[in-house]
Amino acid sequence: MASITSKLYSDDVSLLVVLLDTNPFLWSGENTTTNSLSFPKFLTHVFSFLNSILLLNQLNQVVVIATGLNSCDYIYDSSSSPTTVESLENGRMPALCSKLLQNLEEFLARDQELNKDESPPGIASSLLSGSLSLALCYIQKVFRSGPLHPQPRILCLQGSSDGPEQYVAIMNAIFSAQRSMVPIDACVIGAQHSAFLQQASYITGGVYLKPPQLDGLFQYLSTVFSTDLQSRSFLQLPKPVGVDFRASCFCHKKTIDMGYICSVCLSIFCKHHKKCSTCGGHYLVSCKISGFQV
Amino acid sequence: MPQVKIIAKNFMDMVAALPAMKLDKLYDNTFICEAVLRSLPPLAKKYALQMLYIDVPVPVKSMEEWVLPDGFSKHRVAIDRLIQLRVFIENTDRKRETSYLLHPKFKSNLQKYLVYGGVLPREPMPSNITVRLPTLEELDAYALEQWECFLLQLISSSHAERLTNFSPSMMKVFQRGLLSQREKGPRLTESGFQFLLMDTNAQLWYIIREYISNSEDRGLDPADLISFLLELSFHATGEAYNINTLTEIQRSIIKDLADLGVVKLQQGRKESWFIPTKLATNLSVSLSDSSSRKQGLVVVETNFRMYAYSSSKLHCEILRLFSRVEYQLPNLIVGAITKESLYNAFENGITAEQIISFLQQNAHPRVAEKIPSVPENVTDQIRLWETDLNRVEMIPSHLYDEFPSKGVFEAACEFARENGGLLWEDPKKMRIVVKGEIHMQMREFLRHQKQ
Repeated sequence: MASITSKLYSDDVSLLVVLLDTNPFLWSGENTTTNSLSFPKFLTHVFSFLNSILLLNQLNQVVVIATGLNSCDYIYDSSSSPTTVESLENGRMPALCSKLLQNLEEFLARDQELNKDESPPGIASSLLSGSLSLALCYIQKVFRSGPLHPQPRILCLQGSSDGPEQYVAIMNAIFSAQRSMVPIDACVIGAQHSAFLQQASYITGGVYLKPPQLDGLFQYLSTVFSTDLQSRSFLQLPKPVGVDFRASCFCHKKTIDMGYICSVCLSIFCKHHKKCSTCGGHYLVSCKISGFQV
Repeated sequence: MPQVKIIAKNFMDMVAALPAMKLDKLYDNTFICEAVLRSLPPLAKKYALQMLYIDVPVPVKSMEEWVLPDGFSKHRVAIDRLIQLRVFIENTDRKRETSYLLHPKFKSNLQKYLVYGGVLPREPMPSNITVRLPTLEELDAYALEQWECFLLQLISSSHAERLTNFSPSMMKVFQRGLLSQREKGPRLTESGFQFLLMDTNAQLWYIIREYISNSEDRGLDPADLISFLLELSFHATGEAYNINTLTEIQRSIIKDLADLGVVKLQQGRKESWFIPTKLATNLSVSLSDSSSRKQGLVVVETNFRMYAYSSSKLHCEILRLFSRVEYQLPNLIVGAITKESLYNAFENGITAEQIISFLQQNAHPRVAEKIPSVPENVTDQIRLWETDLNRVEMIPSHLYDEFPSKGVFEAACEFARENGGLLWEDPKKMRIVVKGEIHMQMREFLRHQKQ
């Protein structure tokens, strides 16, 4: 796995892109694990954490992207100039920035409108692939802003379960992050582990954590996720115990253990097809490949 | 070549050297806690942050478990720094186990800051009173002009176009260590040259450190000055703040700060105000030993020619230190790095590493993106020319001649080799050269041999 190399300078200026899971099915009272942590309390933990990141270095930057049910959007960017008369320092602190809460409310209202009438049973998955893509686009823009840019990393605060239909998009985003050497950290606040985020942290060299006690969320965030990339090589950070590398098939989006692979483009299918839907290759011989591992 | 590092003692060392009671008083101010946190090495920052909400002392062993074995030295550096600044307080309990706890005032101030944000002791003045506020560009230009004028006067009064308001005795204090008096006039010392090649923030902190150490003699409390300066770095650049919000002591030093380019003073109809410049707000960025982030202006070509896009006299003087400046056009200084100019620099005590790091840090943005920003043949050649001067090494030694017999000669060689002092031997003519340090022992040995 590619290790994170330091660029031109050796200081700890970082750009943190936080992906907040705002899935209403997750935060409403139906889910038992998040009963211990309501959405307002969750936000206070996160805002204090963002304040602490901005406190550590004058040049640190924070960007917040909300992951909704049907859409994602940028909620807050600490480097945008404050338009109000408030003093510069207070304008940057998200805790006092009513703009952030306002943006979040507007986003949730817009997301609600996009909701289709039939809602699937259980907790629907939020659009993680969309917000990962938004984060990577922002980071690419930062890379092109000149030689002196902060070291970027992504932090996913995810609670909803993985949607297998997003497998391809998420894997593409993960490999793109690996290429640009941007680690993806994951803090899972839902009931179950997330295979996608485990894979993401493993491949990009980030940290995966599922805090056992959610009311101490700020402590977990500040202890594990606040370190800059330079110091990470010296610290013992949590490693995932077992990573679930199972793929999902391209035709039905179901998670599978054994399947068929196209010899041209390596797309995965659960049933034998005469023609590959991704690259259009035809097959003369059919053979079953069992039990693949990355 | 002896390396005199004046950058080694930086501003935070001075803060750490304050007595414990004064340091505790300093931590009453939230902004100072913040500035101290920002000045810590990155690992120390993380430790301080994670201890923020922990009320029980944490044993040393638990903290060490967080670090991988090869990061242990960084861990020690971070912990030592935290203890020096009294951010971490050590207590040893009855079982002889040491544990750390965060300084209580520091902790409570930062907790409040994280949740509520900080409020400066002064608000910017409303714009109907403040007229003709300079734009940010004008402010930057003003700060740069003031600072360069000060530096030119520091190096040589003859070059400066106008003098600052500092008294001659103050200038002497600043020049101590940087200039030495010779018959032909003041000349820069080794530390002086190194000072010129440092970046602006490091230079500013050096001057401020001298200013504060000198202030004790003038009767001002250094802790007050330190707290005011650290507070100043949290003000907004370009906003006007009323002078009557400053205390007596702060008012007395605000004029000196204006001479350095840290603030700009302006007079209205009834009130006067000060405007912090970029130099002030960047004070807290440069407290830790991180590299500077300003725009570079030097392009070095592979044919050893150098082009600097600048019109400032100060830059010209600095470049003249180690290169031959050929033309000075408006906005462009053209020069060449030659063997003679480098020999000149080496004689003055500048090392090749300092020159190379100056060129790399001040590389023009067009070349800064390339790797390497300074061509390798130039950097290699600068280093080679430096080692040229070190070709001959002098060791005081003694030559032994006319040995009575081969046996004595061999024994003498063995003895010298065992004691690590043998430098050269010639078995045919039976001569050896031995280091001066073991000369007395050789004499004793040879006397014994005679008997």
